Amino acid sequence: MSLDSAAAAAKSSASKRSFNSTNSGNNNNSNNNNNKKKIDGGQKTLGMAWGSNFRSSSFRSSPFTDFGSYMEVKNRKLHEQFDAEASTSSHSGSGAKKPVFHGVAIFVDGYNVPSSQELRGYMLKHGGRFENYFSRQRVTHIICSNLPNSKLKNLRSFSRGLPVVKPTWVLDSVAADKLLNWVPYQLDQVASEANNQPKLSTFLGLRSNLVPCDVANAPMTSDNIISEVGDSAEDIKQPNQELELFEHDACEANDEEPTCSNKSENNVVETNDASCYSDIQNTTESLSVISGSTNKGESTSFDPNFVETYFKNSRLHFIGTWRNRYRKRFRNSSDEFRPSGSISASSTCQRNAILHIDMDCFFVSVVIRNHPELWDKPVAVCHSDNPRGTSEISSANYPARDHGVRAGIFVRDAKACCPHLVIVPYDFEAYEEVADQFYGILHKHCNKVQAMSCDEAILDITDLDDDPQVLASLIRKEIFDTTSCTASVGISNNILMARLATRSAKPNGQCYLPPEKVDDFLKELPVKALPGIGRALEEKLKGRHVKTCGELRIISKDSLQRDFGQKTGDMLWNYSRGIDNRIVGIIQESKSVGADVNWGVRFKDTKDSQVFLLSLCKEVSLRLNGCGVRGRTFTLKVKKRKSDAEPVKYMGHGDCDNLSHSSTVPMATDNVDVLYRITKQLFSHLHIDVKEIRGIGLHVTKLESAYNFKQGIEKSSIWSWLASASPSKQKENKDSNKQISGPHHHQPRSNSDVGNILSNHSSDVPPLSDLDSDVLESLPPEIFSEINDLYGGKLKNFISKRKSESIGVSSALPANVKGMRPQSEPEIIPENIAAASTSQNIDMMPSSLSQIDPFVLQQLPEEIRNDITGLLPAHRDPQTLCHDHLVHQVKPTDHSSSHQLWMGNPPQWVEKFKLSDSPILRFFSDTYSGLGLTRWLSAVLLKSVAAKEVCVGESTVECDDIISGLCQLLKEYVDLKLESDLEEIHTCFRLFIRLSGKSKLLLEVYNTTLPHLQTSVSEKYGGILRIEG
Amino acid sequence: MGRKQNQSPQRESSLLLIEFLEVAITSIVFLKGIYPTGAFERRRYMNLVVHSARHPQLHRYIHDSLNALLPYIEQGMIERVAVIFFNNDKVPVEKFVFKVNVNQSDGAMMEEDADLESSLRLFLIKLSQSESLSKTSSQDLRWEITAYFCSLPNNNGERWIPTQALKWQQLPLITPIKEVVGHDQPSFVHT
Repeated sequence: MSLDSAAAAAKSSASKRSFNSTNSGNNNNSNNNNNKKKIDGGQKTLGMAWGSNFRSSSFRSSPFTDFGSYMEVKNRKLHEQFDAEASTSSHSGSGAKKPVFHGVAIFVDGYNVPSSQELRGYMLKHGGRFENYFSRQRVTHIICSNLPNSKLKNLRSFSRGLPVVKPTWVLDSVAADKLLNWVPYQLDQVASEANNQPKLSTFLGLRSNLVPCDVANAPMTSDNIISEVGDSAEDIKQPNQELELFEHDACEANDEEPTCSNKSENNVVETNDASCYSDIQNTTESLSVISGSTNKGESTSFDPNFVETYFKNSRLHFIGTWRNRYRKRFRNSSDEFRPSGSISASSTCQRNAILHIDMDCFFVSVVIRNHPELWDKPVAVCHSDNPRGTSEISSANYPARDHGVRAGIFVRDAKACCPHLVIVPYDFEAYEEVADQFYGILHKHCNKVQAMSCDEAILDITDLDDDPQVLASLIRKEIFDTTSCTASVGISNNILMARLATRSAKPNGQCYLPPEKVDDFLKELPVKALPGIGRALEEKLKGRHVKTCGELRIISKDSLQRDFGQKTGDMLWNYSRGIDNRIVGIIQESKSVGADVNWGVRFKDTKDSQVFLLSLCKEVSLRLNGCGVRGRTFTLKVKKRKSDAEPVKYMGHGDCDNLSHSSTVPMATDNVDVLYRITKQLFSHLHIDVKEIRGIGLHVTKLESAYNFKQGIEKSSIWSWLASASPSKQKENKDSNKQISGPHHHQPRSNSDVGNILSNHSSDVPPLSDLDSDVLESLPPEIFSEINDLYGGKLKNFISKRKSESIGVSSALPANVKGMRPQSEPEIIPENIAAASTSQNIDMMPSSLSQIDPFVLQQLPEEIRNDITGLLPAHRDPQTLCHDHLVHQVKPTDHSSSHQLWMGNPPQWVEKFKLSDSPILRFFSDTYSGLGLTRWLSAVLLKSVAAKEVCVGESTVECDDIISGLCQLLKEYVDLKLESDLEEIHTCFRLFIRLSGKSKLLLEVYNTTLPHLQTSVSEKYGGILRIEG
Repeated sequence: MGRKQNQSPQRESSLLLIEFLEVAITSIVFLKGIYPTGAFERRRYMNLVVHSARHPQLHRYIHDSLNALLPYIEQGMIERVAVIFFNNDKVPVEKFVFKVNVNQSDGAMMEEDADLESSLRLFLIKLSQSESLSKTSSQDLRWEITAYFCSLPNNNGERWIPTQALKWQQLPLITPIKEVVGHDQPSFVHT
């Protein structure tokens, strides 16, 4: 063997050379290329050529002593074969044109459609290479459709950094007759794995609906976007927060966020986002506490109530939490328009009329609204009018702005610009009041209101007939009359343009920007005026000599997306053309809840910090409660001072490093103790000297609605269950209750009769007489007492009375509702259904013989059969009688008539079982309905193996009904499928064996049906089906 | 799979059936382990690794006997094809039956039918996973390919000779292996 291959190797290497020389003259590029490669290999010693990369060349002197050298030769031989084939099959006629896969060498991993052989064929034909064995040196692309988890986890070691591409890439490239970019064809699993974090699309779910984007490029560019957002953020020196920024931005959480972090990076996000607050400048401030308390109390180290005081005096906190109040107050109205809003907006792009209303310097004008004498004076809002002047202006009115007073500058600087500046403190109650009035007016005029902030809103008045300009002035006047504050309005055809229009309308004006003027308006607009373009992005654009939107428009979308990332590029492209597809009224759930304190944080020792953390946790817990959510991921952020010097701003955080640590717990929580425990852990992970800390923030993400939890708890109370039963359900209950008393009324009733009786009942709980004493008795004591309370204590008496009664009615009949053909007798259906739904009751009897399964009846002992026929009323009418006889005479093996349960689509049993009281039957029915296209019984059974419904113990009486129902179902299925699909039957019965281990009931079903199956099988196939679980 | 395009659909489907049966039967024989593994080599069929017989006699027996069936299949005369294993006493112990139910009229879509290919592939996968195949009772087995005809062929075939009905000591136990949907080739194992 080894000698043989040695000879082959020698021969092949020789033939290879000759092959090369003969081919290189006349062959196409691909072969040349291949030859080059080969010659490279060939120039080394014989043993080194080709596959020797697999193993070291230590055995080069004796090439066939082990596997490595064998592989070398094998690889070489494969390549030669490939080349030989390629030379015959490739398009040598294509002349100068490069073959499609020139320079590409694929390695096919695992199962693919098309098969690796076909892929090899394509490679042969179009000048590519096909590697049978992986080698980092030769392979350029890995083709594979699916990867096992182990390979995914260790992707680098599998792919060695090579692209992992789906086979469609090859096909599409062939179809396009050029080598396509492989990126869109990257294996999905790999693409998402590439950023070791959730995919961009999961964050952008909502937005990508609004902004059409090239999905194909998404996996590739997600990386860029992250860094892009980080760069464009003002605070570039905080690398560890990039992700956080990105999340904020991506989910547009900032202006929807119920809690507002009062620290700079959040502000950055605001400026970054398309829908930022209008007073961007203000947001660069950090918090200052009004100088009411002594200096002593302002630092964390002295005041145990620091955190509460802090947030009480935080303006940003006010803005943030205001949203919750707003939500609660206007919840209904905003919920109502949501669906309609999204529909109309998508259909009518051009005719939209959007109003953007913004109060003029809200924080100032509200405070001075009752002081007309201040209206034309420069006024600014600030926490403290401290002579040191190191607190920051939060908001200034227009006269003050004329003097150069800007939000965010220190008071002392402001005073330098404008000596007469009047400093006023915040008045949070007044803000709330005015904001409520403001929104009250807006909601009065229009029901599509999207709140941007406490003083800023967007109205979609597309559906209103009023002239937008008239409506705008009306609203403005009303706002001024009510609040004594002025507002400005921008009107245009989308949110972006309306906002830009507002900017030119300010102060106290309105501006209508018709669609035809948008172009001119944007042309000269500096790019930084666009929402979403912050300082960093502006700088970048400036680097490309872009200052105005007009200049921005020249750059192609592709190029923008390449340079700024998919999303930002898209945004720039759209915004520079005045395109904004956002829909008014999309209310986003907040993605994170948290609180930060970055002012006045000074700790003496660890105890201080622990106290502080506890109060921070309390605050966060309160906020979680306020938003009605619980979270699973907790992130602790700490600002650590960079230099020993105290910052200029009194008690400010100064220049800091930002550290963060987060952890995720399995159960969402809003509990203070849990929060505190987690936070302490996180804190200790940071290993930081508490004296260095200048700010701490705690954020909770992975939020889940707390409502679900509460609901879960409430559900366990029987009272809520009773109370929540829908009217229709109660009706149904009563319907069935009437049926329960069937044996007592021996007349068959028409439906309308039942309806009349029903209408007499109006109480919430079923009347005592309708309750099943057996069920009541077997209830756990606490539930029993609860129900007893509901009935005012009458229940106990009732039970004892009922007990003595019910002994008489105990001949447990296996009567069932089978054997009917509802199509032929529609008038029976309601009763059938009702009867099926009451099978839980011991005294249930079909109200007429027509409801009894004739087969079952036939199999009963004669005396019992007589009893039943005697007990039950005669048939409803001659027609029914006739029908019954017909069914009676049909042999069970006759397929045409015994397949009733499987007739129709969905089969009739589905409907029948759905109305049953038995959880098993209902489960079967529900599962079957949920199956989709592959409607096999085995699929249902497979699901029930894992389901708990099937294990529920049933009372013996009810069992008989279920068993006979299931038996019938199974038998008919056997008859239906035996000929065409024995495998399915086999699977079903094997599953039944497994199920019967869990439920005695199903065991009985199995035992009852098995003989039927085996008889049928031996008839059809002449053998016995072997069934092993 | 390199079949010629210019054949009639009937012939096309029959050829496919034969080809498939050849692979499946070889797989069964391989999986039963009556011959040493060296007698087979790994090949690809339908994007799947299968085994093909290397021994010329073995290969020829399977290949030729199935190809001799071709005219009968085209006439729709074959009801079942079975691989029957006997013990030394010539008592059949195990039988793999392919129930052939090809509708000759709708073979036109053969070439494009990706579903069919995947179901045939599924069959081969299932075959290799089937329990009765993996437990080999003894090496000492003989086997033959038997075809069940609906009616007796008029020209008593050169290769195909009539046999007596086989005697079973007891009712066979049936284990279905796989239904091939679209082609209707249920297959059962009688143990």
